[in-house]
Amino acid sequence: MFPWVYGFHWTVYQVVFLGAFFAAAGVIAVTVSKAVIRMRKDFQSDRDDGILWHADFNDLPEAAKLCRHTFTGEAKKRICGNQFDCGSCDYHPTVVRSEGEIGSMPMYDKGILGAQLPQDRLYHRGHTWVRREEDGTYTIGLDDFIHRLIGNPDRIDLPAPGAHLHANGTGWIMKKKRSRLRVLAPIDCVVIAQGSIEKGWLLKVRTDEAPLRLGHLLRGEEIAPWIMHEAERLEKMFEMAHVGCTLADGGELMPDIDKLYPKVDWESVWGNMLLEG
Amino acid sequence: MVIDLDRCNGCGNCTMACAVENNITPAPNSRMNERNGVTWLRVFEVPNGGQYPESETVFIPMMCQQCAHETPCVTVCPQNAVELDPATGIVAQIPQRCLGCRYCMTACPYHARYFNWWDPEWPAGLEKQLNPDAAPRMRGVVEKCNFCHGRMHAAKAKAAASGSLEIAASDYIPACVESCPVEAIVFGDLNDPESKVSKLAHSEHTFRFLERLGTEPKVRFHSERSWVRAMAENSVGSGQEEQHG
Amino acid sequence: MDKALIQRGVRRASFAKFSVWMLPWFALFLFGLYAIYLCLAEGLNHTNMDNRFAFGLWIYLDLTVIALGAGAFFTGFLLYILRQKELGAVINSAVVLGLICYSGAVGILMVDVGQPLRSWFTFYHPNVHSMLTEVTYCLTCYLLVLLIEYVPIVLKNRQLRQVPRLLVFEFELHKLLPVLAGVGTFLSFFHQGSLGGLFGVLHGRPFAFREAFGIWPSTFFLFILSAAAAGPSFILLTTWLVQKITQKQLVKQGVLQYLGKISGYLLLLYVMVKSIDSLIWINKTAPAAGVSAYQFYGGGTFGSWILFVEIVALGLLPALLLVSQKVRENKVWLVLSAFMVCCGVMLNRFVMTIQTLSLPTLPFDERLSYTPSWEEAAAFLCVVAYGVLLYSFTFRYSVLFPQERELEKL
Repeated sequence: MFPWVYGFHWTVYQVVFLGAFFAAAGVIAVTVSKAVIRMRKDFQSDRDDGILWHADFNDLPEAAKLCRHTFTGEAKKRICGNQFDCGSCDYHPTVVRSEGEIGSMPMYDKGILGAQLPQDRLYHRGHTWVRREEDGTYTIGLDDFIHRLIGNPDRIDLPAPGAHLHANGTGWIMKKKRSRLRVLAPIDCVVIAQGSIEKGWLLKVRTDEAPLRLGHLLRGEEIAPWIMHEAERLEKMFEMAHVGCTLADGGELMPDIDKLYPKVDWESVWGNMLLEG
Repeated sequence: MVIDLDRCNGCGNCTMACAVENNITPAPNSRMNERNGVTWLRVFEVPNGGQYPESETVFIPMMCQQCAHETPCVTVCPQNAVELDPATGIVAQIPQRCLGCRYCMTACPYHARYFNWWDPEWPAGLEKQLNPDAAPRMRGVVEKCNFCHGRMHAAKAKAAASGSLEIAASDYIPACVESCPVEAIVFGDLNDPESKVSKLAHSEHTFRFLERLGTEPKVRFHSERSWVRAMAENSVGSGQEEQHG
Repeated sequence: MDKALIQRGVRRASFAKFSVWMLPWFALFLFGLYAIYLCLAEGLNHTNMDNRFAFGLWIYLDLTVIALGAGAFFTGFLLYILRQKELGAVINSAVVLGLICYSGAVGILMVDVGQPLRSWFTFYHPNVHSMLTEVTYCLTCYLLVLLIEYVPIVLKNRQLRQVPRLLVFEFELHKLLPVLAGVGTFLSFFHQGSLGGLFGVLHGRPFAFREAFGIWPSTFFLFILSAAAAGPSFILLTTWLVQKITQKQLVKQGVLQYLGKISGYLLLLYVMVKSIDSLIWINKTAPAAGVSAYQFYGGGTFGSWILFVEIVALGLLPALLLVSQKVRENKVWLVLSAFMVCCGVMLNRFVMTIQTLSLPTLPFDERLSYTPSWEEAAAFLCVVAYGVLLYSFTFRYSVLFPQERELEKL
């Protein structure tokens, strides 16, 4: 096998054969080492959150990955191919619309399924909202739709002040019954203060980036159609769980809904809505 | 080596002498039979297919034919455990390197190779007759005739001791040759035109089995009976002849 | 009970039901292990192989499972190198099947050889002219590749992917899978071929011996082609079987048909090449060794019907069926054709091993027969049981069919 082993001869056949073998073995070894090295690098350069999001996004069913422009009718049933990163998307800039209009025009009094969707804030596809305060800081909270769906969590593990969050990375963990739910952070930021469900907000943050990337968040006329679509997604999940007639138009999500429909795989439903894998 | 088939009477002395000389494993139980036993040399009984009084039989001792050209077992062994010695022409098996994959056994058309399906075990007392010049093989390796290598080494040692490079023909006689009561097996240096084996090899009635396969075996057979030569011309049997071990 | 280990959004049987499924396979596995122990501890006399039938059931089955497991490399090649995205639906299953087939084959080989502890000799003192050396090297490397490709599948387990290091490692490894798929294709090309070459170079056995192209006999190329044709069919068959057993739809409609189409066209090509090769063999190669085709097939159990069945009934027929879209759209005929393709390849491997050895070589030989012993059958069933256990385990706790979640309906 090696030149110093008895029986080795420098013939064409031996050289070609063993050369091919060592080459193949070498390629395999290099590939695995590369993967390990790149893994180390990813952690050092803090890319691991992005990778988790990438993996989770891939595993989502198509219905959860609709492009925001489908909601407002600019596109017909387009699946997002960019992990909701509208800032780097090729398609997003081609859609001509007014950016960043945060007005306060309540369009739906009763909300959708009883959920209130104030228009003074931006919404993340993972059902959190972001609101800019006068002092330049931002407030982050859980939107009413998902709050009504999950109810009050048994426990929330918020990041400590000083913690860095990445957009689409882990925001905080909520525990409900036996389910562990991971809520996505809407923006890149640093935590200043922790809130609570009762206070109506969960995190106060500041951002190091200027200008802060908010382009991927939903606003204005997008919000209502998006929540309508989320309601449809929810209804589909209930259909598959055979819970009978639900989500009638004009109705409200009842409190403690998980107790009312114990047969439903709630962990799956909540995880799906929170865009978890 | 040339085997005179007209002399061989099928006594089987050669097979026994070979087994004794080379420490061949005995049968451990009744499950060992002619298909899985080890017989470096075995004698086949081949009838001419005729009815009395035309019925005739030839006895054919078969061992490793020491193929010279593209030796099938040498080319296929995955770890070079078979070597063709260019000086002597003997195809030697290295049992310590043999993996026991048995690829050489499928390659050999002469059925000259045998696998140790059992652990070699000699009944109590029989180990006293073991030949110290021949290493026994372990379970799971292939073995075959090597023209009594132990005797060749002894002959070489004797020649070296007396200061000559060539071994004397009378010093190197394989066990089968020695034991044949009718001297049917002739052994010697094929390259020496004066030797008995060389003269017999060039006789017009001498042939080799499976000539058309191109293996160039060094073991030749001699018979003046034309039906025997005609039978050997066939490359493959029609599957009707009997065979005995 | 083990819900936390099962991926979200899919349904699996209860743990009790799963145990009831696994237990008999585990028992079979243990029983087979006992047979293997006997062979290793007391010798290969526990098999019915002998000095004339030096290769028996195990070598035959090794060749078969490696031919069927070719689906792993071929699907990888089509998906990662030729970018046929539909096959993403079955690649994980194909990799697991490949792993089972190759690890099972190597396991059985370790029992089949007389001195398994000497296996490293082939690496240390290789005979580069021997086909078996080539097989050994390639099989070992390829098994390593399959093991590495199996790691991302394991890391897809719900609990494991929550460990950041493992998730990121899986992500980076996944990006490099095309490289591994390329290496796998290169290795597979050679070992599938060399397995055919094993018999094609035996000039002492005119039944198996074939003309050479360069250093390789025609059986080298025939084996590659037949393996490439059988691989997709085997994946089609197993996917259908798993869907039947689990009562779920695991892949989108067109995937199975696509697999059948690939199989059909490749098989058609194979049948053409095989027919030409057989004609050359019957008219030129075998007569040169002094044997006529009649002597191979006349009398005995294996008549010329076997050649007909191999090339026409289980070769041309399923090929023609699979290239027809109408047939592929009919589920019954699609699965049946795939089954025929697999049977055809199994028959071809049988002919090259068992039939080759049964034929006489010396003028005074007789034709022989061989029946495997219970230990041989048990050892093989051990591998089958191991395969079912591994596949079931991976199916339950990992993600074998990425499209399952989308297709989930009650």
